[in-house]
Formats: sequence, structure tokens, C-alpha cells
Amino acid sequence: MPFYETTLIIRPEATQQEADKIADNFSAIATEKGGKLVKKEYWGLRSLAYKIDKSKKGHYYMLGLDASSDAISEITRIAGISEDVMRNLNVKVEAISKEPSPVLREASK
Amino acid sequence: MSIEANTNLDNSRGKVFFKRKKSCPLSEEASPEIDYKDIELLKKFISERGKILPRRITSVSSKKQRELSAAIKKARVLALLPYVDNN
Repeated sequence: MPFYETTLIIRPEATQQEADKIADNFSAIATEKGGKLVKKEYWGLRSLAYKIDKSKKGHYYMLGLDASSDAISEITRIAGISEDVMRNLNVKVEAISKEPSPVLREASK
Repeated sequence: MSIEANTNLDNSRGKVFFKRKKSCPLSEEASPEIDYKDIELLKKFISERGKILPRRITSVSSKKQRELSAAIKKARVLALLPYVDNN
């Protein structure tokens, strides 16, 4: 099945545990339809480059999924409806890299 | 060629100047892959105002410029890079 990278930005008002659960719900949508969660990253409560819904910060979660396309369209649909998720971006990739994302590299500097 | 080298001094709105390299900085062997998550790499190719820099200033090849442009636009959607930066 194709690989997708799903990035979610969750409201800053939620605590990290709540945001974690929300991200897990999305990965569960993919696994229910026979997919796999390959990678999960938390990029922290980052400042946004511009205000989204009047907030300047958000929790960033990046999920690497091996899922079918219907699972991804379902994720897109539910993320759009969900009040906690401010933005989502699903990108089809050829392979999910095993190294941590560049965003985490600069955070550790 | 020398006329083009001078455009760096006259018309660039950004304060970011690159020496006019003869080859694409992203097509060498050791250069990193273009990824919308790699903000540090992408920041080198946008102006101070947040606009994507043209090829004639950065000497990127056309294929890499298209990939860069797509990556910068994805990063903008995710608020990793601004659309407009008025600071």
C-alpha cells in the first residue's frame, strides 16, 4: 500500500496528552482499514509563521502511514470536520525515511 | 553574463545575495533532498519578505526549482514558512 505522511496541527489549548490522543485517533482510522503506522513524531508546541484561527502556536504531529487511499480520504474528511485540528496536510511519498525529521534536528540544536 | 551579475546589486528586493554560482547548488552529490519539512534548507531560497527567489539569482536548475517551489508551498500551508513576512 502506498506511503503517506500526514501532518496535523492541533489547537494549543489542548494539553500534550489530549493532543496525543487525537493524533492516535487519526492513526487508528488508518489501521482499521488495514494500514500500518510506521512513524509518529511530535514536533512540539511550535510557533506558527502566521495566525491560524487567532492562535500563534500549535501542536505538530507527523504520522507516517502505510495506508490505502480511502483511509487517507477519511482522515482528510474527519480532520476537516474536527474542531481540534487546525490544519492537516497529507502527502503521498515513495518511502518513509527512518531518520527523524529535519524539524526535530533543529529543535535539538 | 556580466550584466546578469549586476542585477544582484540593483533590483533584488530581498537583502539576501548569492554569488552567481555556475552550477545548481542542489544538484551536487552531497546536497540534501528537498523536503517540505526541512525549513533551514528552504529558508535559503526565499527572500526576506518570504517570496520565492527566482532562478536567476540562486542558479538552481529548472527541475529543482519546481521541486523547491512545491515544497515551499507545502511548508506555507503548514505554517512552517510565512506567506508574507512584513518584519
